Amino acid sequence: MRRRQRAVLAGLALVTVAMAASAGPSSALTHQPDAHSAPYRSAPGPQTVGRAAVSDEGWKQTKSVQRSVVDNDGSTRGYPFTDPFKVTVDADHTKNLRGRERIAISWKGAQPSAGRASDPYGVGGLNQEYPVVIMQCRGAGASVTPETCWTSSFSQRSQVSRSASDATWTHDRYADPADKEKVSGPADFPTPAQCPSILRDGDFYTHLTPFVSKKGKVYSACDKDHMPPEAAAEAAFPAAEIASYTDTDGNGSAQFEVRSDVENESLGCNDTTACSIVVVPITGVSCDQASAANPTNLTPVEKSCRKTGQWAPGSSNFVNLAVDQAVSPALWWSESNWRNRFVIPITFGLPPDTCDILDPRAPTGFYGSELLSQAALQWSPAYCLNKKRFKFQLNQMPDEAGWNLMRNGEGAAAEVSSEHPAGTDPVGYAPTAVTGFGISYLIDRPDNAGEYTRLRLNARLVAKLLTQSYLGSGLGKDHPGIGSNPWGIMADPEFVRLNPGLSQNASEAGASLLSLSNSSDIIEQLTSWIAQDAEATAFIRGKADPWGMKVNPSYRNITLPTAEWPLLDTFVPQTSIECWDANPPNYFSLLAAPVTTLSKIATALLDSWPNTQTRCDTDVSTSPHTYKVGRVDRQSYGARFMLGIVSLGDAARYGLRTSALETRKGTYVAPTDRSLSAALRLSKQQQKYGPFVLDQADVRRSRTAYPGAMVVYTAARLQNLPKKDAAKVAKFIRVSTSEGQRPGSGNGELPQGFLPIRRSGVTARYYASAQTVADAVEAQRKPAAEPTAKPSPSVDGSGGDGSGVGAPVTPPDAAPGDPAPSVAPSPSVSPSAPTAATPMPATQSVGSDLAGGLLPALILLGAIGCASTALLRAGAPFLRGRR
Amino acid sequence: MDRASATGAEQQQPRRLTRAKPPARRRPRPAPAPAGPPGSAESTAAVLSSAFTMIAIVCLWVAVQLLFLSSISQSRAQDLLYDQFRHELGAATAPVGPIVPAGDPVAVLEVPSLGLEQVVIEGTASGDLLVGPGHRRDTPLPGQVGTSVVYGRAATYGAPFGDLTKLRAGDRIEVTVGQGRTVFEVSGVRRAGDPLPQPPAAGAARLTLVTAEGSGRLGALAPQSVVYVDADAKKGLPAPSGRPPAVPRSEQSMARDSTALPLLALCLALLLALTLGVVAARQRWSTALVWVVATPVVIALSWASTDVVMRLLPNLI
Repeated sequence: MRRRQRAVLAGLALVTVAMAASAGPSSALTHQPDAHSAPYRSAPGPQTVGRAAVSDEGWKQTKSVQRSVVDNDGSTRGYPFTDPFKVTVDADHTKNLRGRERIAISWKGAQPSAGRASDPYGVGGLNQEYPVVIMQCRGAGASVTPETCWTSSFSQRSQVSRSASDATWTHDRYADPADKEKVSGPADFPTPAQCPSILRDGDFYTHLTPFVSKKGKVYSACDKDHMPPEAAAEAAFPAAEIASYTDTDGNGSAQFEVRSDVENESLGCNDTTACSIVVVPITGVSCDQASAANPTNLTPVEKSCRKTGQWAPGSSNFVNLAVDQAVSPALWWSESNWRNRFVIPITFGLPPDTCDILDPRAPTGFYGSELLSQAALQWSPAYCLNKKRFKFQLNQMPDEAGWNLMRNGEGAAAEVSSEHPAGTDPVGYAPTAVTGFGISYLIDRPDNAGEYTRLRLNARLVAKLLTQSYLGSGLGKDHPGIGSNPWGIMADPEFVRLNPGLSQNASEAGASLLSLSNSSDIIEQLTSWIAQDAEATAFIRGKADPWGMKVNPSYRNITLPTAEWPLLDTFVPQTSIECWDANPPNYFSLLAAPVTTLSKIATALLDSWPNTQTRCDTDVSTSPHTYKVGRVDRQSYGARFMLGIVSLGDAARYGLRTSALETRKGTYVAPTDRSLSAALRLSKQQQKYGPFVLDQADVRRSRTAYPGAMVVYTAARLQNLPKKDAAKVAKFIRVSTSEGQRPGSGNGELPQGFLPIRRSGVTARYYASAQTVADAVEAQRKPAAEPTAKPSPSVDGSGGDGSGVGAPVTPPDAAPGDPAPSVAPSPSVSPSAPTAATPMPATQSVGSDLAGGLLPALILLGAIGCASTALLRAGAPFLRGRR
Repeated sequence: MDRASATGAEQQQPRRLTRAKPPARRRPRPAPAPAGPPGSAESTAAVLSSAFTMIAIVCLWVAVQLLFLSSISQSRAQDLLYDQFRHELGAATAPVGPIVPAGDPVAVLEVPSLGLEQVVIEGTASGDLLVGPGHRRDTPLPGQVGTSVVYGRAATYGAPFGDLTKLRAGDRIEVTVGQGRTVFEVSGVRRAGDPLPQPPAAGAARLTLVTAEGSGRLGALAPQSVVYVDADAKKGLPAPSGRPPAVPRSEQSMARDSTALPLLALCLALLLALTLGVVAARQRWSTALVWVVATPVVIALSWASTDVVMRLLPNLI
């Protein structure tokens, strides 16, 4: 006994030592991100997969930009610098844009900006000096005028009732004489009744830059009531126009979001209306002839026209203090600035409803993966506008639902990314597109230092987010078992170690990874990546991380991988807040608030609007009080922090950054062409017509493969698919793996975010497999080589019955005439002549001795028991007597 | 076993425990008062006697429950299922496939010549068939186009298919599912070695009833081999596609469901605990009191344990 105890103690000690070893600080990272030294460094556009698609669609121009003044003697000189700025503007892609697509615009050689605003968008960017104003305007080339350029507020385009010293535009040497008047602007200047805000008496100056909508309606822009409806406060979309910042080296960049006529009808850009992006580097108003030779004798307005800014280059203007008007972006329309404009012509792609409008044919539905959505958007016009092809339609839904529709015969084909259980008919998987998912982020560095551009995440951090182990706010701190956990991922020491230099002020948005609420192959792959990580699984099993953070008990020991992430936490915090008392929140589920489609996540990131549903407002003016619960506000620029799962296609279209995920310990791989290729190389095809399987255990061993790489397959039945549908599916597979894999932004081409499948190279196997499946789908017959064919038990009830010991069953395909009707009761199959008796195999003998012998044995045994007992009882007195 | 040990232990208690109140009424004659321990032959006989008593009680209880008591629970389950299915038919929510949760009623099966009326449930595992005939999940529902297979028990739990072999060619079988009513005509009883019937014509429906039968004098008690009854209807109801291509081993004919083992262990452990409880209680309270309290629990536990044991046995008996 003592020895056994000792052995148990020794075992326990061993286990403890092992656990301590694994819990210790993990080994050093391979590379530490360099600490950001410069206060502001312009962030380049995010790296995307398939950048080649738009490599030839960029735009670049160089221009000399010079501010000048005319002195009292009539001579002109460069001001304040004698040398002009040689500004080069570069846009990464300009063709076939879609609504809300973001373009990376960068420039160099511009005058360094000063007084950087915390929010450069819309009206928030006005109080800066020497910024670069980027706007979207209708028209191209010379037809672009300030009147067609979009701003989301009137104060960005009009100067209303300014004092004389603030009317610097009236001394613009390049301006039309009419624009130097006290009131200037459109020829049909609004009447006092229309615009009472314009003070026409006294020493006030006004200049209006009206906006002309696509339909020709003129909005005078004298106040907020004379602006297009899309410019209303709290409009559906946040402001897109930027007064962007140039760093002290003269470089800058911005991601500019374009709006189609779907988002902005007044601006009205679409595939038939030419539009442009106008970049105006603000250098200040060039002033006309001075009234005095001595600068001190100038009039106040001449002095303010010659101002060169009150902020030092590179400084920040956090509290939105006033700036010198002459060098502010408010006067972008003045001729001095406007003449320096860069006009980048852009074209829009066909609207998403093109096929519905132009093609009256009934669509052929392909059901499933949202990963394909951006590709399908470009592909579908190539089908519906070609009369020789069919009308392709991708109906996005959870992979599982799409698969079931295909299996049940309600859909021609499904778009899935992993293997699903087949029904009665065999299914072939044709690789159609190589893409993946990413964990997208939107994180601002502290102190107005721009966006964070190289987020790195490991499996345990993602597991912490998914298991809702962060508390979100003080409301979560009473959660049993995890009360001492950090409030958000930004305050987690593990995250800080991987991504140093970020603010550690926790917010509710940092407690969740915006994810999908329904079943998806993406969640399956993400969770299998987590499941392959020893530390992450130990964390989920309940082991605290080295900093003492524990898993949310609701998710402890959750089974991974899973295709559908459940909301398990039911914690209701006790608070003294009236609104929450009246509406007891399921707090952790409100934090997570998963959504149904990836595009909603991408849009939330684009708008920097977390889906956190923890807002609870009380209206005390009513009796009884009324409450409003719902989504929190948009995050303010400069303090944004959001994480979400996006498809790489969406990430490329919206210019979202995607984080690098850990593969081997200390190795972080971001989605690039190279890392997707490496993952493809690791994938294995188990059987003919089957999908390629990417084992996350292999990814764990790789230094280069991206864990989120996914292949979208067109899955269709190889039997019993109606001939017409079979031909369409085969056609789709062939077209999408040939013509559809040419990178580009045009109709039928492969957009960014996808890796082309080619006949050679790493994707050769995928190409070959797609062609094989296309042939098999078209042929609609099961090849004889497949020995796994099982007879459907519907042929005859007895034939399918295994005997319990797995006796092989004779398939009754002996019918020589027409074997088809024996396969399934498909109505399309012609009936075989029932009178011609087919020799049928004999019924097999199925039996069980246990079944036969059980009851008789029970009764027999019972009888024996009774008899023996009686005998013994009867004999007992005899035994006793003998003693 | 433990059930018997509970009873057996009870019978031995009065003799061994001196502290127990004398339950004199139950003893056939007054106990002699030997001062010394009983002799070895006598104690062997006592042990043997209680062992046989245990065996007898266990075996007979199981046999009695399988043959008689279980038909009570089966007919109650049928009543409930009938009500449920009737309601679903009325509300037009009766399942039509392809995938129905196991245990849900899917059809009403009537055989006028046998006076048989049963609600067919989904699934053919041994546990499913405790409440009535089960529809094999990889076949269309009875009445739908194709061959539908229904399993039923031959001897136990009400023996719904016990008389199936009395059917003759031409007898009618009426089936009601969510889509409507289909009348089948029996084409024959089929045993091992008989040729399989011709494949049904396109658009026709076939119903194959499956049960077991025995031979010889104890045939009714020993359903040993599987027997089939085929019935045809000219026109079937439309069948949705998407059925599972196969069923697990436990749902094939004469198969057992070994997943019930943990549950059985739990039941036996409870019986053991009950036994110990009775032993302990007997030292405090009177026999009558203990047994008034314990008997219903013993019966309920025994009943439940036998139901679990049944899941471990072939599904067609």
